[in-house]
Amino acid sequence: MKVDIRELGQFNHLASQGAERAAESLSQLAGVQMGVEVTDVSLVTETVLAETFTDRSFVGVEVGLEGGLEGETVLAFERERAMKLQDLLMGVTDNGDAEERLAKSSVTELGNIMIGGFIDGWANHLDTAINMTPPRYTEANGPRILPDQAIEAAKKHGVFLFESKLTGMDTDLDFSLYMLPEYRQFVQLLSGNEQGNQIPVNRLSTFEQLAKEGAGNAADQIGMMTGLDTNVDVSRLRFVPLAGVPKQVGNDQFVGVVFELTGLPSGYLVVLFGEESATTIANAMMPGGGAEDEIGEMTEGAIKELGNIMTSGFIDGWANVLQTSIEHSPPNFVHDMGESIMSPVVGKLGQQQDYAFVIDSTIEIDGNKGQCDIYALPNERELARALSALPARD
Amino acid sequence: MTRDRQRADGSPTKQVGIAEYTVVTDDTQLSTSGVGSCLGIVLRDSFSDVSGLIHVMLPTAAESRDGNPPKFVDTGLPLLIEEMVEAGASKRRLEGWVVGGSEMLSFSSDGDSIGSRNIAAAKQAFEHYGIDVVGTDVGGSHGRSIRFDPADETVTIQTADDNTTQTI
Repeated sequence: MKVDIRELGQFNHLASQGAERAAESLSQLAGVQMGVEVTDVSLVTETVLAETFTDRSFVGVEVGLEGGLEGETVLAFERERAMKLQDLLMGVTDNGDAEERLAKSSVTELGNIMIGGFIDGWANHLDTAINMTPPRYTEANGPRILPDQAIEAAKKHGVFLFESKLTGMDTDLDFSLYMLPEYRQFVQLLSGNEQGNQIPVNRLSTFEQLAKEGAGNAADQIGMMTGLDTNVDVSRLRFVPLAGVPKQVGNDQFVGVVFELTGLPSGYLVVLFGEESATTIANAMMPGGGAEDEIGEMTEGAIKELGNIMTSGFIDGWANVLQTSIEHSPPNFVHDMGESIMSPVVGKLGQQQDYAFVIDSTIEIDGNKGQCDIYALPNERELARALSALPARD
Repeated sequence: MTRDRQRADGSPTKQVGIAEYTVVTDDTQLSTSGVGSCLGIVLRDSFSDVSGLIHVMLPTAAESRDGNPPKFVDTGLPLLIEEMVEAGASKRRLEGWVVGGSEMLSFSSDGDSIGSRNIAAAKQAFEHYGIDVVGTDVGGSHGRSIRFDPADETVTIQTADDNTTQTI
């Protein structure tokens, strides 16, 4: 069985449109303007679920899907944000029992309407009915906000996780819509009959290895160069519309390096530090010598050198997993707004594709004192080819 | 995807994403961020009070394998013009601003950079449609965020260097 990347793009598009409709419902019902940030889909294992949801407390509405599309959809709010929504829906709350019950039921009803909007387009696309089970109000810490079946599936073979982030325009309110289709049925839906741009289903688990090995190597290199403790916080491979990639990076000021990759797959690798993290790193690399308070030549030199070594480590990890050879260009130093830095990268890839597999890794440096984000964007056709060419295994 | 945001001074703003365009027929401000090698192109018919902004990534659809039309200068600009005409604008009265097209990265495999090719494509398209150029801020090696205010017909450009802004 093979997964057609175009089908994955089509479903991502549906999820993205569905999220827009869900946002409109909320705008109408609660009178707050919501916008949809990017929608991504990834195949995640239990470990990634734990990393993604850990240490957070959620309130959610869960709806089961049956028929043409089986699985679950969850609308999840971080707990403190949910209180805000309840306030909006209820007017003023005084935390009385009756008020709380009413708030819960209105959140549940809201979730039901939003999820209904989210699912509509899927039923049209699949040309079959999708039945929704009654909405269920849930509260949980960490990944337990997701349905048990999904967590079980993640343990076994991984689970497809669609995530759309919704953000308030003029209110501090954001939450996520998760869609977790039943694995086997969804894999069937993804199997196209196109030639060339397909990935064998049993290679999908390689995605996680790609994300982990690269980031692990890169983090080790930071540790060796600076003597600071490093830890890979999250490293995930997501499938996103290319035009949504800059938005994921955000528009803060970053210091970093961009590399072009050649080989199988080719692509781009971007290493970004916040300005403070960059200065911390540069000073740690040159103890006692010419510390800079601002981003100057010394920092540039240090970040380029470190970026070179991290990138070598990162693509060595890929080359190991894919059993191919990959090389990288000299570093392009950048100090600019995050979205602008990504603009030429998505432009380059945009000549070949509309969607991208993005490996997004966050490395914590010296506890929470610094952070480094790595974005790796391989050419999707070449990545599919490399994965297809891997020797068979069970 | 566009989003509405109320500004402190009361006139709302629509945020335009990459490979997206928006047309307004009032004083709603149009803004887009992350303009690196991409271009932000603003068109305006002041007589009919119709304004549009498109954020294009690449010069021509023909040299691309996949793609939706708003991604490219040569296929995106006609879409924007068409929607503006539907909203009451006249093609003959359109004037425009072009911002972006910087060269932030250089790779050995490059011929001309995307930024300079985008600028050339926009110039050609403006000539083709006979659109007068009111202002440009193109090239360089830095990113830009832009905001168009229909009320005073100005484009305000913000760059990363010490957060300077410039109005054209």
